[in-house]
Amino acid sequence: MASPTPTELDPSSELDAVADRGPLLSRESQTLRFLLSNEFGLIVLIAIFAGVFSLFTPGFTSPFNQFTLGRTMAIDIMIGFSMMVVIVTGGLNLSVGAIGVCAAIGFGWLVETLGLPLPMALLGALALGATLGTVNGILIVRSGLHSFIITLATMSIFFGVMVFLTHAEAFRIIPPEMSAFGKMRILSYVSPLLLISIAVGVLLTCLYRLTPLGREMLAAGAKAAAAELSGVRIGRTFVICHSLSGVLAAIAATMVVARNGAAIPSMAGGLGQDWLLPAVLGPVLGGTLLTGGRVSVFGTFLGSAFVTTLTNGLLQFRVGEFWLQTWLGGLLLLAVLIDLARRRYLARGGRRMA
Amino acid sequence: MSAALSRVLQADWFGPLAIVIVATLVIGSIEPSFLSSFNIQILLLAVAVNCVIAFSQMIIIAVGQMNLSVGAIGGLAAISFAGMMQVWGLPGPLAALAALAIGAAAGLFNGALIAATGISAFVVTLASLSVFKGINLGITRAQPFYGVPESVKAFGNTTFLGPIPWLVLPAILVVVAIMHLLNRQVLGRHILAVGGNQSAAELSGISVARTVVWTHAISGTLAALAGIMFVARLQLGQPSIGDDWLIPSFAAPVIGGAVLAGGHVSVSGTLLGVVIVAIITQALVIFRIDPFFVQVVLGFLILWAVGINRLREIRVERVLGRI
Repeated sequence: MASPTPTELDPSSELDAVADRGPLLSRESQTLRFLLSNEFGLIVLIAIFAGVFSLFTPGFTSPFNQFTLGRTMAIDIMIGFSMMVVIVTGGLNLSVGAIGVCAAIGFGWLVETLGLPLPMALLGALALGATLGTVNGILIVRSGLHSFIITLATMSIFFGVMVFLTHAEAFRIIPPEMSAFGKMRILSYVSPLLLISIAVGVLLTCLYRLTPLGREMLAAGAKAAAAELSGVRIGRTFVICHSLSGVLAAIAATMVVARNGAAIPSMAGGLGQDWLLPAVLGPVLGGTLLTGGRVSVFGTFLGSAFVTTLTNGLLQFRVGEFWLQTWLGGLLLLAVLIDLARRRYLARGGRRMA
Repeated sequence: MSAALSRVLQADWFGPLAIVIVATLVIGSIEPSFLSSFNIQILLLAVAVNCVIAFSQMIIIAVGQMNLSVGAIGGLAAISFAGMMQVWGLPGPLAALAALAIGAAAGLFNGALIAATGISAFVVTLASLSVFKGINLGITRAQPFYGVPESVKAFGNTTFLGPIPWLVLPAILVVVAIMHLLNRQVLGRHILAVGGNQSAAELSGISVARTVVWTHAISGTLAALAGIMFVARLQLGQPSIGDDWLIPSFAAPVIGGAVLAGGHVSVSGTLLGVVIVAIITQALVIFRIDPFFVQVVLGFLILWAVGINRLREIRVERVLGRI
């Protein structure tokens, strides 16, 4: 169903060809490549929009706004990471929101009903996220079906079971340390949640750059058959990707709990659908290929950061919160179109130089 | 004789039909009120509206894509339909036509973007989902339109021939039209050909881009029709119409044996899939089980159905391999 169309594949394979010949290219074209990269584009966009917002809206640069912006950004980045690690395999995880809500509610239950200490409850929430992700992974690998339909079904199951067990009641008695952490400010501007997201980003970069497991994930996502022939255990790798996605969704969810001071079943909309757009926006804006095999952790970070900055600024401009969704959807379309144009340009450039 | 029998057993509609009959008998014997005329009316209403939603997704599955924005288009059409009648005082049929046109335009937008750029349908329809939903909220400010004329309310809530709701009529029209389209029309055959093997279809002279655009336009129109039917049933233009269509829209076609990679769908199977979902939902209500449990059952139904379809595929592959 998500079979890549020829137009989707061609530019990227050309691009890979250019990348392989990287050292042979002149310094000039390498600079050009960086200037055309998603990361650079996003940095410029963030700078431009942040500049415009701070010039024209009084509230944008205030310490409090910068703090809330950073806090929301941290959560969106984590949601983006959670989808990114699955997109690497060429798949999707529609259940990120549902897993997140389950982890948040599980956390609330552990601290409120069972009275577990905070670190144990956090670990429990992450373990729940990992378990649900693993269930996704095993179902996908065993059935050989596309992850889209499997995670669509599990999204309904996870969320349904959670609501069935909790009767849609929120857990509001969470440890004061947790809410204090959500309100904490470093140097009156920065939320510690943002530091967690940065740390996770660094870890993920290390995973893909330095470890055999990360390399295997990329290889399996790029060409499963070829990777299998060279000894990668595809099934196991895919399951790990989905477990990782579950853990990251759970981290994002505990961040939301810290921010809200409560674990609320409706925190991500019905079935957790509200997380879907931020989850896909970050990786796609950041240049992670939907067909799999290529990832940019820094790009996802910047992509999510850009979306949050834009959302915050548009709200400051009072475009009306109701129209916000239209803007975000339009932005995603625009970003994908620009990305397409960029890749076609690069492909043409690569051919000329070859 | 046995060949005919095995063909019936292997047909897409056989399994779902068996489930429908068994479920009706079992539930009916435990709880006779399940077969009361009031309950049948409720079942028919649910089937009528949900089958239009399911066909709106099925046609996209047939061409080998997916449409996440079915619910958003339906919601936008629903509030436009109610809004045009309340604010501009348009008569019901005219407002319905305009709402259908909005749905068709939204579908055209999706299809044109996908066909022109080659970006995956998932990303395009996820983005347009947000765009359409945002327009919906921007217009309504999340407040419903209450000014739905009496004639529309009556159409959505009265019956004929005993327990049959009038809303069944548009649903029957859609079933007949889709069957005719997929079996007898050039466009329908093109849709299935493109879904089955895009490059082969292209090589045999089918314009893939045009087929994709048309398919999305049909999907958008059907989603809009479902939205209009919802307004007639609820008697108001609720902005949240369509928010929870995503899972059911995939469940019914998949239960009906649709191949998600495209090229093979079953109209009767999808219809039976809708009936199964309606029966289960109704049974949960009758047996006083938490209505939230519907989500869980729907999820398992999808998993079970895709599992069965996959097994059938594997069996076919094995048979073909032996030859």
